[in-house]
Amino acid sequence: MSTYLLRKTDVRPLLKEASAVWDIFAPLREGVGDVNFKALPKDRLAEALENLVLDDEPTLLSPKTIFFPQNETMFAFGSGGIREQVESSPKLLFGVTSCDLSGLLFSDGFFAKDFPDRYYLSRSENRLIIVKGCLKPPRQGSCFCASAGTGPFAQRGFDLQLVDLGGEYLVEVGSGKGESFILAHSAFFASGDGRERAAEAVKRDATATLGPGVDFDKALRLMVTGDFEKNFARIGERCVYCGACLYVCPTCTCFNVVDRADGGSGSRMRTWDGCVFEGYTREASGHNPRPSKTARTARRYEHKLKYDPLVAGRSGCVGCGRCLDSCPVGIGMSKFIREVADGTEEM
Amino acid sequence: METRHTHTICPYCGCGCGLYLVSEGDTLTGTLPSSRHPVSRGSLCVKGWNSHEFVNHPARLARPLLREGEGFAPTDWDRALNEVATSLSAISKRHGPDSVAFLSSAKMTNEENYLMMKLARAVYGTNNIDHCARLCHASTVAGLAETFGSGAMTNSIGDFDEADLFLVIGSDTTAQHPLIGTRIVKSVLDRGAKLIVFDPRTIELVKYATLSARQRNGSDVALVNGLMNAIITAGLQDEAYIAARTEGFEELRKLVAAYTPERVEELSSVPARDLVEAARLYAGAKKAMIVYAMGITQHVSGVEGVQALANLAMLTGHVGFPGTGVNPLRGQNNVQGACDMGALPDVVSGYQKVADPAVREKFAKAWGVPRLPDKPGLAATEIMNGAAAGTIKAIYIVGENPAVSDPDTNHVRKALSKLEFLAVQDIFLTETARFAHVVLPASSFAEKDGTFTNTERRCQRVRKAVACPGEAREDWRVIADIARRAGYNGMNYAHPSEIMAEAASLTPIYGGISYDRLETFGLQWPCPGASHPGTPVLHVEKFTRGKGAFKPRDYKAPAETPDAEYPFVLSTGRLYWHWHTRSMTGRTSTLERESPDCFVEISPADAKTLGVRKGEKLKVSSRRGTITVRAEVTERVKAGSVYVPFHYGEAAANLLTIAALDPVAKIPEFKICAVRLEKAGA
Repeated sequence: MSTYLLRKTDVRPLLKEASAVWDIFAPLREGVGDVNFKALPKDRLAEALENLVLDDEPTLLSPKTIFFPQNETMFAFGSGGIREQVESSPKLLFGVTSCDLSGLLFSDGFFAKDFPDRYYLSRSENRLIIVKGCLKPPRQGSCFCASAGTGPFAQRGFDLQLVDLGGEYLVEVGSGKGESFILAHSAFFASGDGRERAAEAVKRDATATLGPGVDFDKALRLMVTGDFEKNFARIGERCVYCGACLYVCPTCTCFNVVDRADGGSGSRMRTWDGCVFEGYTREASGHNPRPSKTARTARRYEHKLKYDPLVAGRSGCVGCGRCLDSCPVGIGMSKFIREVADGTEEM
Repeated sequence: METRHTHTICPYCGCGCGLYLVSEGDTLTGTLPSSRHPVSRGSLCVKGWNSHEFVNHPARLARPLLREGEGFAPTDWDRALNEVATSLSAISKRHGPDSVAFLSSAKMTNEENYLMMKLARAVYGTNNIDHCARLCHASTVAGLAETFGSGAMTNSIGDFDEADLFLVIGSDTTAQHPLIGTRIVKSVLDRGAKLIVFDPRTIELVKYATLSARQRNGSDVALVNGLMNAIITAGLQDEAYIAARTEGFEELRKLVAAYTPERVEELSSVPARDLVEAARLYAGAKKAMIVYAMGITQHVSGVEGVQALANLAMLTGHVGFPGTGVNPLRGQNNVQGACDMGALPDVVSGYQKVADPAVREKFAKAWGVPRLPDKPGLAATEIMNGAAAGTIKAIYIVGENPAVSDPDTNHVRKALSKLEFLAVQDIFLTETARFAHVVLPASSFAEKDGTFTNTERRCQRVRKAVACPGEAREDWRVIADIARRAGYNGMNYAHPSEIMAEAASLTPIYGGISYDRLETFGLQWPCPGASHPGTPVLHVEKFTRGKGAFKPRDYKAPAETPDAEYPFVLSTGRLYWHWHTRSMTGRTSTLERESPDCFVEISPADAKTLGVRKGEKLKVSSRRGTITVRAEVTERVKAGSVYVPFHYGEAAANLLTIAALDPVAKIPEFKICAVRLEKAGA
């Protein structure tokens, strides 16, 4: 694997140059001071780049939403027939965390499997992912990538990965696409020769800082053999059905499809959906195989931690900690995993 | 296409959560909470998370409509605006200014509410302006103004993180103010705070309660008087506070002496020992918050209920400090602001009384009119009665749906159809709009700049994310256009910030509020000066009115109680999934799917007696109307009581409710009427 150096002061000029070809998505400070992973507006690029966030601050939603928006119009219909809406602009994702990369790869697998989902796949077909590993946990007390094996640095799946060496980044190349990007913007990159050992030390230190907080593997093993009905009952009773855990989850891929019509014209739209909602599993007859909060909570945790490892070959939880941070009553995957692994009551 | 984020405020409840709207062009594609916002703190309820979806619904009104026979025909703005302005003017001239009435909207911005009351008063010369606060917290505005001097939530949402005890009475907090309800839940579970819940239904919060009881519907005043009796009997009142900060204690002591725990048990069905224990817990807490909502206010004794709670808080010294207070949770996103801006019949903005000549003179001068009407106008409930009686000839309604939301809606629908002229301005063709002569397509929260004021008096910026659909317009522009066409030249604004500047200059509690100070998290009124930081806690050191006034209030019975013919007590309310008349949430797929149809909650015991299974259709009838709904058999309600959510226009609970009013606040008793149940097949 070849490596390069990128000075931190060159990040903004690089992105500016790259914006001629790419739509750029990155963590930006905006509004009332929140950091959100979002598109840099091309008409206000310089201003937006000023708001680029390079330290390890949490973003509320994962970059999954770029390829799988909350509401997505699939096609419009009316007297003129059907107009399908697919989108495939070139997208450069800068500063993706390692756990979010895991989430993206998980979602890729879901949308490509069995029935290729043309909406997701076309949005994501022309993308370049630049990962930036975390040196400190963005969600202190909630995230646990080192335990989940998803970070703080990625092993695979990225096009480029940045390791923070202080005034500059060591750039690891993970794909031919990544190498091409460097060639196309070669003025910003120097050789990384001789700095790899320093980068390895940074990664080691970061991994030590970020975990392991919980024994994730033990929890996954116990999910197969153990009985956690009491945990599900306790957590389910506490849930207030806001949906945040599934809306912020980097691997939740469920959606509902609805027509929005007024007379004979309108659009077919899909919208984020998920297992905490009663209507999600309610059948046409009114019968619901998951009738209680307990049963729906069990579905969520068992899906992520028991069946995803069996079916997809990897955990459906990437350890980002978003579900806990966005839950108004303090329910979260990291707490549940600790309950399972340590036999404690966290919630 | 590029996605944009716009920071704004949620359009649903009075919590006032900060959120970002995600847009692609003029289409909204998502919502996410603000992590830094002091209310939302990275969370939202399910309505908030889906608040964008109705905005792009194809049924949005996109052109002005004129009545044509039984239906409507599209028209242009010029004609529609002229029709409204000239019809209102002509009727006002023919029958007098008080034959015209205006219903403003707690969904609109402060600036728009200010313009509505200016339109009514300065242009059409009437104080007949009101809005749905009449149906929710009119009792609070009247009740707390008299006891404390300010009819608003005394404390802040942040205070929920430091209270040691919550007394929740008549508020289904997790359903109606989720981001406040969840603070209570977390406080109990994570900090060991105590929770007392009094509610006729077993609401979600009961699970977390240290003590809870289901009082008989409408017995709240007796119950709270009983708490005070028990406190005084045990000597737990705060004598120093009473002496230093209040007046009228002796009268209170005399009145509550009659409310012994045993007598209150008879009146309220709350066991005497629970009452005594609750009194001990509340009085003994270092920081105790009273939290209430419609369960207290929507009664013929609404004002008494509010004042009983104010008495209780003063008795124990639980007002004027962080983590304490009397905390009415305001319902709509901007019902606080609509009241603050004077969309009320007796006050202009900042609760300045129209009966006060100095107030009228100040406003008349600023508005460039010779005089303003001095007689307080009609309340919303009285406006409908006036329409039915023929004294009100024309109404201009913005963003309200009384054909579903008002009590005894058969009466309301008849009243609306009798009007000589009705203009309705809304975002969908609501049940009310169907009665209109002119329908004006309005803007949603996502399509305009402005401010909303949340339940904790926090005035916050609302920002335009997308353009209005089709030809629809921002409400403030429409109101100003009507004023111009009525010949008034004092409503020329380039931007809502100019309206706020005018309102602030005339409204002491908003005196220091301007857009450049609202960029982040807003300001809590009173904010009298440009450098004033705002006021998170009211009545610190002294009450707004000086001394806190004890107002001893006797229990009185509800207007309509069950009898042999109508043996059940019906209570109405709201659900977590829906908002009011469902014109927005019914067009939001996740919310509508979760609760697609109306139902009546009935106890297992009553269901057994009637031979009704879960899901079977039941006819629910009162003296005023009948609806047919699905039976939801549940322990949440007591035997003898039933509950119907009022959201569903097709089975409107308000066809059943009674328009009996609190004599002071003119709020209807939505919470109690007598009904009969029959199997629909029978």
